[in-house]
Amino acid sequence: MTNTFDLSSALEDYLEVILELDEKKEEIRVTDIAKRLNIAKSTATITVNKLKKLGLVIQESYGPVELTRAGKEYAEEVRGRHLLLHKFLIELGVDYKTAEKDACLMEHILSPVTMKRIAEFVNQENGIEQEHTTKTHRYRDAGSGITIGTADDEMGLRSTGVKSLNELRVGEKGNIIRIAGKGAIHRRILDMGAATGSEVVVKGIAPLGDPIEVTLKGYNLSFRKEEAKQIFVEVCRK
Amino acid sequence: MSFRFALVGNPNSGKTSLFNEITGNTQYVGNWPGVTVEKKEGRAKKIKDDVKIIDLPGIYSLSPYTLEEIIARDYLVDEKPDVVINIIDATNIERNLYLTTQLVELGLPVVIALNMMDEVEAAEDKIDIDALAKSLGIPIIPTIATKGRGVNELMQKSLQIAQTAAVGSTTGKSLDIFNKGIGKYISETESALAAHLQDIPFNPRWVALKLLEGDLKIIDRLNLPGKLLQEIGQRRDMLEEEYGSDAETIIADTRYDFISGIVKKTIERKRSQGALSTSDKIDKVVTNRLLAIPLFLAVMFVVFKITFGALGSFTIDWVDVLINETIAGTISGWLEAAGATEWLYALIIDGILAGLSSILVFVPQIMILFLFLAFLEDSGYMARAAFIMDRLFKRLGLSGKSFIPMLMGFGCSVPAIMATRTLENEKDRRLTIILTPFMSCGAKLPIYALFAGAFFANNQSLVVFSVYLLGIVIAILSGIILRKTVLKGEPAPFLMELPPYRIPTGKGLLIHMWDRGKAFIKKAGTVIFAAAVFIWFFQTFDFSLKMVEDPANSILGVIGRGIAPIFSPLGFGDWKSAVAIFTGLLAKEAVVTTMGILHGLGEVTESSTSLIGAMQTYFTPLKAYAFMAFTLLYMPCIAAFGVIKREMNSWKWTWFAVGFQTAVAWLVAFVIYQVGSLLGF
Ligand SMILES: Nc1nc2c(ncn2[C@@H]2O[C@H](COP(=O)(O)OP(=O)(O)O)[C@@H](O)[C@H]2O)c(=O)[nH]1
Ligand SMILES: [Mg+2]
Repeated sequence: MTNTFDLSSALEDYLEVILELDEKKEEIRVTDIAKRLNIAKSTATITVNKLKKLGLVIQESYGPVELTRAGKEYAEEVRGRHLLLHKFLIELGVDYKTAEKDACLMEHILSPVTMKRIAEFVNQENGIEQEHTTKTHRYRDAGSGITIGTADDEMGLRSTGVKSLNELRVGEKGNIIRIAGKGAIHRRILDMGAATGSEVVVKGIAPLGDPIEVTLKGYNLSFRKEEAKQIFVEVCRK
Repeated sequence: MSFRFALVGNPNSGKTSLFNEITGNTQYVGNWPGVTVEKKEGRAKKIKDDVKIIDLPGIYSLSPYTLEEIIARDYLVDEKPDVVINIIDATNIERNLYLTTQLVELGLPVVIALNMMDEVEAAEDKIDIDALAKSLGIPIIPTIATKGRGVNELMQKSLQIAQTAAVGSTTGKSLDIFNKGIGKYISETESALAAHLQDIPFNPRWVALKLLEGDLKIIDRLNLPGKLLQEIGQRRDMLEEEYGSDAETIIADTRYDFISGIVKKTIERKRSQGALSTSDKIDKVVTNRLLAIPLFLAVMFVVFKITFGALGSFTIDWVDVLINETIAGTISGWLEAAGATEWLYALIIDGILAGLSSILVFVPQIMILFLFLAFLEDSGYMARAAFIMDRLFKRLGLSGKSFIPMLMGFGCSVPAIMATRTLENEKDRRLTIILTPFMSCGAKLPIYALFAGAFFANNQSLVVFSVYLLGIVIAILSGIILRKTVLKGEPAPFLMELPPYRIPTGKGLLIHMWDRGKAFIKKAGTVIFAAAVFIWFFQTFDFSLKMVEDPANSILGVIGRGIAPIFSPLGFGDWKSAVAIFTGLLAKEAVVTTMGILHGLGEVTESSTSLIGAMQTYFTPLKAYAFMAFTLLYMPCIAAFGVIKREMNSWKWTWFAVGFQTAVAWLVAFVIYQVGSLLGF
């Protein structure tokens, strides 16, 4: 694992480590994670709490850490999906950087069926009996404040980032991955056009700092940062 | 045959414009979401058959979120109109079709009016209407509601559909939106429903979808047995498990996928997604970090400067001369010629004419103010104002959406209080209803115009502007206090569409202005007229019905002297002011009417029209300001009171609202007068 402990890659590393330990069917303690990442236990506790808040792991006080369904899917996807598309593009003869960029764009728009076929194609080519999650590609859980990169991060090619909408600057765009929460507001945001996969552009911020204005499905919608926090988007940095 | 056609569509898609075109009515339109907050009916003209047109509040989906939206959905599912005319904003087809996909599921015949085609043409976008109609299986008529284009074709088509439907041939076939996987869950839910309920009052497939989504309002309405709910809940869990998200998202996404598929095939947009439209460019300035608030204040100040400045005074003088010299002269000539008795002469000239003129002189000024408000609303600026102000409103625990009813309050509290129906939750509505009357309504304008003219002649517009600002400040403070005490609760969310800027049509502006302004002329002819006669009578006679020399001994004088002490600490403890405040409850203009009659007659010396001179003996500038502050804030007129009762739907809250307002008014006027006196004003 890398030692570049900026917040996002740290969170990502945690998820991957937990997934790894989880697959070995070990009971995961914070100490294990700390050991595995070669960091202090107190630091690990803080980060695990963050993941807890994001609904990606559960942990009763001082008990074992477990990935939630969302957390597991997330971790698996982090590992699998981008890598797969990237591999596929490389195989087609696309250069490394372009493959990286395009994989990032493609993963939002490809249907689960296509993803599955690509997975089959890539695995066949490589003769690998490797399974990729295909069913839930469209829906992923995402947490606030984390940037999930790919396994290729070690090469300094971070290109994909999940952010909550309030973290975007004016002019930035992203594709909606998930709207957290439940109830009337959640429903309303959906009804006003925030479908999974659709593009949002942050148009502006009100003079007093809140609310924000975004363009969505070709019209302008405004809501507060509180609501924006609940909307997770994937940003492609070129 | 008689039919009912309902106009349904997203807010701001042009429903009311179309309604006006079809019915020849003059409902006002506005360029912000939430103009039509209740349904309006009208009869289609130019058609032989008896067709009732219903203008419904705008909705984004059939899952209502606010009170006005509930009104719209309930009308559709309960009253089942013969034809649903779905108005679609052609510049924003994707989001608009989301509602269409749901309307079709209701099983009612649908026609699409593809509106705003002029804007589509101007943007040089291409829409293949035939292909679009074919893929939706719904007839589409292109329209330009503001110009009346396409309206006849739309009515013909709707009639044809209504007639076919009446004969019994089925029209609404459901769209092929859901894939087999999701479709299976829907059909299963539908059969489970059918097994438990004999006759469902709505379309079963639609109900099944709603139940699968977990729509609480529908569940409540149908009063379903627990076992069925459990069964459906299990299905929902399975659906969510299989598709890896929550049911609402899965269903909404599927709809949008379906729509995107169609839109991609039938629409070609010229402007690329990222490019700035004119509207965006205007927004860059209007909502600019540094400019937005100064610009807002400047806009408001210019409006006041013009309304109360040279143009306003000119119209006042003009009407004054018209009534008090030309008309009064003519009538008194007639009266003398007819040998009218002294009291009849007094009643007509000093009572009715003096009373009416005191109001009518301000009508042009009110109209000018309303014209400006209409412009701000129709252009789309109001929605930006809500956007800019939201942060402040959040401090009050309200949302920027409350700002719109409050701004409307500058016109008249009655529609403003009704506009609170756009708010999501009950507490926000209550609070907004209580605060809205603090926004100085048009009827109070004559009061300020009179007092500012008499006591602050050199900086009239500035003083009036300050009174308006005072109302806003008091509303903010009251909001904070109420939110911390009787109306505790979570701050309201803010989620609002910002419509593109549009240049208002002249006709639209005039309708809008007239719609509000005519109420004042009507009031002058009814309530104010009656009040004038009433006041004249009671201040001319005493309790033994003898004409009195000194009005202070009249019936009104005696009553006024009785309540006047309440106002002594505020600086205006004379009986005439007390009476004026009391009659102001009928209509705020009556304050001025009363002043006109009482002071006009009080001065036996010379011409009774010199109201200002008479008042200067009673008031000082400080007292005048305290009086303005009191009239600004105290209990609204009887009409507004009625609406408050209706919207609060509770006597307790209604009395609390007006009690609070009156107490605040007293306190504020008290502070102004006492502090002002201490400072030596
Ligand atoms: N350019 C253009 N503007 C329109 C058209 N129809 C309505 N409008 C404008 O759109 C705004 C909203 O109209 P309104 O009838 O109040 O919409 P409603 O909220 O659906 O009732 C108003 O400013 C209208 O003047 C149209 O066909 N073309
Ligand atoms: Mg309307």
